[in-house]
Amino acid sequence: MPKINFNADFIIGVGALVLGCLILFVWIPLDVETGLVEKVRSRIVIGDSLAPSLAASVLILGGVLLMFKSYRTSGRAELSWSSLKFIALILAAVGLSLAVMRWTGPISAHLLNADYRSLRDTVPWKYAGYFWGGLVMVFGLISIMEHRLRWRILFISILAVLILMLVYDLPFKNLLLPPNGDI
Amino acid sequence: MSVLDYVWLGVGAVFQGPALFDLFGIAVSVTLVMVFCGLLTGIVVGATPGLAGPMAMAVSLPILISVFGYHQSALLPVMGFLIGVMKGATVGGAVPAILFNTPGTPDAYMTTLDGYPMTRKGLSGKALRVAYFSSVSGDTFSDLVLFTCAPFLAILVEAYLDFPEKTALIILSLSFIAAVVGKSVAKGLIGMALGMLAAYIGSGEDFYPRLTWGLESLAEGFSMSSVILGVLIIGEVFKSMEDLWLTRGSRKAVTIKPRDDNRLHWADVRMLLPYIRNSALIGTLIGALPGIGSTLAATLGYATGKKMHERRKSDDEPAFGEGAPQGIAATEAANSAVSGSNLIPVLSLGIPGNAAAVFLILAADSIGGFNPGPSVFKFTTASVNPELVIAFGLFTMMMFANILNWTIGGVFMRSMGVMARVPKHILMPIVLLLTLTAIYVEETKMAALLFTVGFGLLGYLFRRLEISPLPFVIAFILAGKLEETARQAFASTGGNIWFLFSSVTSTVFLLLSVLVVAAFTRSKKK
Repeated sequence: MPKINFNADFIIGVGALVLGCLILFVWIPLDVETGLVEKVRSRIVIGDSLAPSLAASVLILGGVLLMFKSYRTSGRAELSWSSLKFIALILAAVGLSLAVMRWTGPISAHLLNADYRSLRDTVPWKYAGYFWGGLVMVFGLISIMEHRLRWRILFISILAVLILMLVYDLPFKNLLLPPNGDI
Repeated sequence: MSVLDYVWLGVGAVFQGPALFDLFGIAVSVTLVMVFCGLLTGIVVGATPGLAGPMAMAVSLPILISVFGYHQSALLPVMGFLIGVMKGATVGGAVPAILFNTPGTPDAYMTTLDGYPMTRKGLSGKALRVAYFSSVSGDTFSDLVLFTCAPFLAILVEAYLDFPEKTALIILSLSFIAAVVGKSVAKGLIGMALGMLAAYIGSGEDFYPRLTWGLESLAEGFSMSSVILGVLIIGEVFKSMEDLWLTRGSRKAVTIKPRDDNRLHWADVRMLLPYIRNSALIGTLIGALPGIGSTLAATLGYATGKKMHERRKSDDEPAFGEGAPQGIAATEAANSAVSGSNLIPVLSLGIPGNAAAVFLILAADSIGGFNPGPSVFKFTTASVNPELVIAFGLFTMMMFANILNWTIGGVFMRSMGVMARVPKHILMPIVLLLTLTAIYVEETKMAALLFTVGFGLLGYLFRRLEISPLPFVIAFILAGKLEETARQAFASTGGNIWFLFSSVTSTVFLLLSVLVVAAFTRSKKK
């Protein structure tokens, strides 16, 4: 009898099976108000649970199928520690840049005892968050890929962010750069 | 209104729409200018390794909508630009493949096999001309098939399929896409299920938005832009960045001096035509099936061309893989022929077959007034069906883009070699910021950026775990339509829980869904 091969596909299959079961038996019953079918004014109609339940069932089916397929084959898909380290680094850089984008303007305004909402459509305030957040994103990510910091890359990053600002802001007066639309 | 009247209205909507400027006293419509700009953008993007047509479509869509607004009159200029990008990128992808052995788009990989050896022999100009001629020929042929097939298919669907059959048809399409895309049917099903679940969050008919845990930020569900751009674009950007992070350096391009005669002669064209014909047919057939990408078409076209070449070639001619122009022709005609016929399922059934089609649907959905599907091709006689006029407008724009491609595309394409020298590791973070900015200007919510990055992470994981992102995206788009059609079918059959088996056609569709999954599960053994 062949031995079960605990390869990446098997783990994905188990993950899909567990996730599907959780969605089907926990999430949907707790978080959807109507059942599979409902009676509305003496008519039977499809309820809001049916479609997600079917989707969860397909997820379970896919998981089981993948587990069985991985039983005799060795999956080539893999998520190495190096990949996890990289994606954590990237998400941290993107998260930091979005935080800078969101808070640079409001915090600067607060330090100057001003209200950012009233300033957000004026220069330089309307560009502050986008410029610094964008700069952190572009410069940070390029530096991560190059494994070093370079003045030349800083200059290119500033140029790139300025060009994007001009592309979106100058011709279109109705467009709002982040984060000015929802502060 | 006759069919011809509709055709003329479509042509008129493109050529006689709002004028942007006058050229020698002739008003040039904004739609024509947008097709032109889109084509050039597409060639540039296609010629830049790391960028692709869908990326350009993704970032330009919010800008275009800001310019033209959310009105039906915006449909033709916006979609014209996107169609131009789609066609231009197909042509441009061959440039770095031939000059630098780096495919500009994934489907141009096979072009490197003969293109780069030709460059090494000093025949880069000829290789580019062969690629261009074959690509545009395949694309034009495919468009003609689209124009003739899509309306007929739509009319058949509308005439013979009721709600239960339409529901079963969507299930069949989803099963087919899950089964054929990617290396594993099971992974296709997992991707499809996750896409459907993502679509069902915050939607439904009840007052309480389902599957939201009461969170206000989820109450309206995930926007199509966040999901599609996140999974398709940001996921690809993350993966490319990791590849660059691992390799650190960038490849130095070698410049080889071209020989004197790099022109494409009539004798060359005659020699290439049988290869182009076969590959155009293969590409068109494959493109008409949703979910099967141009990479498979290129591979099959190349394999078929190789067999033909082995039978025909003389001893002094290079074999495939050693710099045979026929190899470039077979590949480029096949992968370009996919782009037109890929719109057959979109326009006739509302089912997107590839990433470019997904962005056309996203444009139609964002602007409104055009819902790709069988109802588009209702030839109403008493009143004008505006969607049908738009459809014929789309066909007109595609032909106009082909004419531009035939006339100026080649010269522009051959001047794009410089794009392959743009460092990819600098380009990728800029594309990321550009995409996030594009999302924000459309949604004006920082939460949308977080969702997009979240879906980008999902797209990255899909790629790393060899799960194709396409079933996820297509299921996300079709999930709402599937549920709505099922509700209508259930109601129309008087609450019959076996409504999907209420007719022979729907039963056959469902059986085919099971069969296609079973058959591909057996055939896709590693």
